[in-house]
Amino acid sequence: MSEPLELSKKYQHMVTQCSRCGFCRMVCPIFDITKNWATNAGGKMVLIKEIIDEKTKPSEGIAKSLLNCTTCMNCTINCPSGVDPPEVIRAARKDMVNLGYDNMFKAMSDVIAKTGNLYGEEEKPDWGHKHEKAPYVLFVGCVGTYRERESVEKTIKLLDILGVKFTMIDEVCCSGVLEDVGYQARKELARHNINEFHRTGAKTLITTCPYCYRTFKNHPFYKDLNLELKHITQFLAEYDFKVKTDKKVTYHDPCDLGRHEGIYEEPRQIIRKIAPNFVEPERTRENAMCCGAGGGVRGSFPKESITIARNRLRKIIEETGAEILLTECPSCLHNFRNAKLRRWNIEIYNITEFIAILYKEMDVRETVAA
Amino acid sequence: MEIEGFNFPEGLYYEKNHFWGRVEDDLIVMGMNDYAQLMSGEIVYIGLPPLGKKLKQGKNFTKMESGKWLGKVYAVVSGELVEVNEELEENAKLINDDPFGKGWMFKIKPDNLDELDNLMTDPDEIGEWIRGEIVEHGVAS
Repeated sequence: MSEPLELSKKYQHMVTQCSRCGFCRMVCPIFDITKNWATNAGGKMVLIKEIIDEKTKPSEGIAKSLLNCTTCMNCTINCPSGVDPPEVIRAARKDMVNLGYDNMFKAMSDVIAKTGNLYGEEEKPDWGHKHEKAPYVLFVGCVGTYRERESVEKTIKLLDILGVKFTMIDEVCCSGVLEDVGYQARKELARHNINEFHRTGAKTLITTCPYCYRTFKNHPFYKDLNLELKHITQFLAEYDFKVKTDKKVTYHDPCDLGRHEGIYEEPRQIIRKIAPNFVEPERTRENAMCCGAGGGVRGSFPKESITIARNRLRKIIEETGAEILLTECPSCLHNFRNAKLRRWNIEIYNITEFIAILYKEMDVRETVAA
Repeated sequence: MEIEGFNFPEGLYYEKNHFWGRVEDDLIVMGMNDYAQLMSGEIVYIGLPPLGKKLKQGKNFTKMESGKWLGKVYAVVSGELVEVNEELEENAKLINDDPFGKGWMFKIKPDNLDELDNLMTDPDEIGEWIRGEIVEHGVAS
């Protein structure tokens, strides 16, 4: 187990491109809690270079250290040398696994293969929209299904209220996350999802999860998708809603939606329609801090992941004084809800979930008035 | 008392969702048992519901989560939630470190203390039950 990493020339070049300036420290959610230079992007680039140059031998400790990155891309956006550290780190994680430094995600890969979801859950919820022909097919993903089920139920309710003709499939994990943690996405799962999508006759695939969106859009296993792909915020951006809130509302950009896919405006288009009192956090859009859930960090370092979410949430509350925090990502939503302290007077929802709640409140008011 | 290497303090009431109850004045304190905390791995989150919530014996009323597992918390008796262990909000690992002490979860004002008769106190009964759980679910290393 002493061979150097086999990073491609492209990534080896990126490692040497890093000028060690340390700008990435200012935006790295891991550095934010460790204050340890070795844990941020620049530190990891040095570590990887040391292994490539055979000055340091790969070890379990280094493999673990490389897992401690949310792949949020805040370092990429702020790197004056044009390095994309998450890409290098992803490649290095694969090298470490190939060198035999297995990690907990081997078990996750096996669980996904066996059960079709990240968590090894045996029972799937029945969302009530399965196997009908429809122009739209909705995909909700593992985190929403098994960690934020009530939120997904409300999103589905909203689509019903809006009269969207959609269906859902017998979903299995898109498995894209495996690529982030040293393993390969699973072709048989991608094939299952594609076949199921095509059976519905839908022309448009709507995802609630930004990570699934990225996988469907970018992973070669989904090249035969042949469907228009929309994140739910893109799909709903042009809709009009009959509800509004007077409460002060703010928004957290999910890294997978924002920095990774450049979807910043559509969520705001929706929020402005329903919340006239909308305020931005100081760090927003491409500068938004990560919630701590991505890149496998929630799985491998759960306590640290929640600490990152708590720090982000604390800042948002201090900066905006908002009563409602909206996002549109099941992982961000879950991490923030886990991180929220009881004394903090803020409610956290996905945008679509919140709009469904507003509709329900309007129904109650109208019933009472009648 | 120790059963199969797990601590089951005497004087407590145990139920089969792996929670325990203890009479403290006119309240019931509840928490998670030693086997379940080990099987869960490091607990990173427990939902602390608002005080005053009405609970029903054997029904789940909140969630808890470790890095690998999401679980439900079941009320050991029916009654009103009158206190939560606020330390768990920022340090849920107390449930692992001290499941019968600092890792207590909730205090309930019981509707009817007779419900305690539905819970296990007999070491033989607890032993038989936990051995069955170990056969079914194993023991985390």
